Amino acid sequence: MVESDEEYTGEISEDEDESNILSGSRGDTAGTSRSKRRKHRGGAEWEVSRTWETLVEGADGTISSTVEGLLEAGKRKRLLRDTTPLQRGIIRHLILIIDLSQSMTEKDLRPTRYLLSLRYAQEFVREFFEQNPISQLGVLGLKDGLAVRVSDMSGNPTEHISAIQSLRDQDPKGLPSLQNGFEMARGALFHTPSHGTREIFVIFGSLLSSDPGDIHQTITTLINDKIRVGIVGLAAQVAICREICGKTNGGDDTTYGVALNEQHFRDLVMSVTTPPATYSQKQSTSSLLMMGFPSRTVEAYPSLCACHSKPSRGGYLCSRCNSKVCGLPAECPSCGLTLILSTHLARSYHHLFPLMNWVEVSWQHASRSSVCFACGISFPPVPPKEQWHISEGQAKGMSVSSRYECTVCKNHFCIDCDLFAHEVVHNCPGCQSKVIIPTSSEPSQNHEALDRMDTSA
Amino acid sequence: MNTIDATEHYETSAHDRPPSLLTIILDTNPHAWALLSPTLPLSTAIANILVFINAHLASNYANEVAVVSSHTSQATWLYPVEKSPNSNSNNPDPDGDIPMPTQQPQPPSNTTTTTTNINKYRPFRIVEEQVSSHLHNLMTQTTPSTLQSTTSTMMAGALTLALSHINRRTLAWNEAHGGDIDTSNPNDPSSTTSTSTSSSNTKGTAESTLQSRILILSVSSSTGSAHQYIPIMNAIFACQRLHIPIDVCKVSGDAVFLQQASDATKGVYMALDEPKGLLQYLMMAFLPDQRSRRHLVLPTRVDVDFRAACFCHRRVVDVGFVCSICLSIFCEPLGDGVCLTCGTRLDVSDYGAKPAVVARKKKKKKVKGNGVSAAGTPTPTPTPGP
Repeated sequence: MVESDEEYTGEISEDEDESNILSGSRGDTAGTSRSKRRKHRGGAEWEVSRTWETLVEGADGTISSTVEGLLEAGKRKRLLRDTTPLQRGIIRHLILIIDLSQSMTEKDLRPTRYLLSLRYAQEFVREFFEQNPISQLGVLGLKDGLAVRVSDMSGNPTEHISAIQSLRDQDPKGLPSLQNGFEMARGALFHTPSHGTREIFVIFGSLLSSDPGDIHQTITTLINDKIRVGIVGLAAQVAICREICGKTNGGDDTTYGVALNEQHFRDLVMSVTTPPATYSQKQSTSSLLMMGFPSRTVEAYPSLCACHSKPSRGGYLCSRCNSKVCGLPAECPSCGLTLILSTHLARSYHHLFPLMNWVEVSWQHASRSSVCFACGISFPPVPPKEQWHISEGQAKGMSVSSRYECTVCKNHFCIDCDLFAHEVVHNCPGCQSKVIIPTSSEPSQNHEALDRMDTSA
Repeated sequence: MNTIDATEHYETSAHDRPPSLLTIILDTNPHAWALLSPTLPLSTAIANILVFINAHLASNYANEVAVVSSHTSQATWLYPVEKSPNSNSNNPDPDGDIPMPTQQPQPPSNTTTTTTNINKYRPFRIVEEQVSSHLHNLMTQTTPSTLQSTTSTMMAGALTLALSHINRRTLAWNEAHGGDIDTSNPNDPSSTTSTSTSSSNTKGTAESTLQSRILILSVSSSTGSAHQYIPIMNAIFACQRLHIPIDVCKVSGDAVFLQQASDATKGVYMALDEPKGLLQYLMMAFLPDQRSRRHLVLPTRVDVDFRAACFCHRRVVDVGFVCSICLSIFCEPLGDGVCLTCGTRLDVSDYGAKPAVVARKKKKKKVKGNGVSAAGTPTPTPTPGP
């Protein structure tokens, strides 16, 4: 058993190197865990990236402070990335195809390729709708030589996630057929409006595709329908996959990647959630779009919807012409107004108005507060003045007094609330819960700050 | 044998029924309550809410409650207020006597009811005392001059405070009950390292951690909250990600964004026809927790108002102009064509330009008409001649 494993990883390593060269900069993200694997099977030492060298022993002989610093640095990095201005608001139509064939039972990715793919697929769905709020997604599976519909095209992430979750109870079996998958995906995509992108993203664990016909014909139809394909391989590079990616992306085959390890796999999958580059070029001719925010109604008797001519009781009435559509986002079939849910747009507002980073509080100013403004947890008491210098400079990035201050409302918060406010709520509890009354000490400045905060928080 | 039985029993019960945390956001906008006073005065409403809180606390010994007030100028905690006890326990001041600051402001209410309060179940009494005393404080601090400046309510702040508290309690509960901390951190399901299984986590959060929900008792109307559109939306999405339902009990007026809140988070939305029966509404519709709700037919509202607020004038609109770069909503086409949010130069080509295109066509027709008539009628011919 051990031997077979050994052999398998050995086989992978060639591909690893190859794809590493091919994928260029993408490979370096995998540094740390790859080194572990290399070491595990006694790989050459010069290939090992020396992660331990970044660890420096603290004054007390432990590495805990360094580890905390690294964690903090990671958090900081994430927060900083959030504040970069992003171009969003692209309507994408994407079909996610997951390989459900027997090759997915391999355990080279822990726990198995199958379970890991399903988990990452769920994360992908969640992240996709975070990043592309007004996009549509559908999920297919490749199993037994057939394409299986997992979930239909829709803009509701929970539907997809529960559908993918239900796959966990099934076992992967049979051989995959890329052609069948692409044909089914094309069927779901070809009627989508032309202002959005049409994309297929495949998680492919096999080294073969057992197709009923000529896959090259399918590729031609994909090109004709302007459908772009991205593939993540789990085993080794497959020639036809690279060809498909290259042809459908206008010669650019960087959308094909082979996962080196779990982390690299995740990075490859998550990189698809960011909108494709060509689209942002098209967006540079930016325009003001007229959009309707319809309200949902339920009628006593079913009536035909304008989009599919199917009887239904519920629906959304176009805010301009009052014709009924059954799903959003959509283009009103009678007056052509783009209809979306305002919640779809609002989902990305925290990218536009990021919450400003909070600053550390030194002991001098710490006495102003004894509890966290938001959650009421008590801060460590201010020590006597002589002890101030001891704790200072202990760990970089951490506040000595474990208080963090919002620069606008001057309230103090704990680290948990800091993370929560910046990563989940994107609101400052202090700024949101107080109108500074003009009679306060610095009226004009505060008022101005508050007016700004209205939109910016 | 007995011991084995006992432990098993304890374990299962602890495992099966995690407590629920109910956070009530009470809209204490005096303008709106003044309008309501003939049918439902604030004091009656508070009494009803306290009964409701007691019912919630009584349904499970470990249930928790928190009350936030969303006032006109601020959002504050009514219960639990940890400021006074905590500051005293931390600062080793010799005169830091815990009950003093809390009891000072409430002699009027306390002296009359001390005899009845002695025998009251302690959790009920604490909540009642704190809520009434802090509400009393809040109302005495509110002066007519502060009310004149605004008629809206700080709903976004109250929601954010409530979420922070829920986050804190969830973390604390997981630490105390050995629930793995990964589950308690659904904060960043996307950004956690791949080692923590997020798929199983979502199941775990739903089943075995503290069940939180938010109940908003709203009286103000929507126009006031339009300027808080973005913060409210942010809070709603946070609730959606954390699986916290927002229940809305709309006593008067109609709030657009709160409908969306309850719809997005799968909470209960009810607009009361008879504000007098507040307690009955609360007990019937809002008492069951998430677990019980699966077996009930909930009084959800089917019509949902999905209108948005524009960024330029804070109007609530149903047709708006959206910047294709930053997705900002504007209620009318921008005069100079530069997005107010991201500063991008915007072509008003697609939809905004449609009227202009029609106008041009008319001009063309006129030109054509002129041309045709120029050929037919004699009058225009002299004009181009010279």
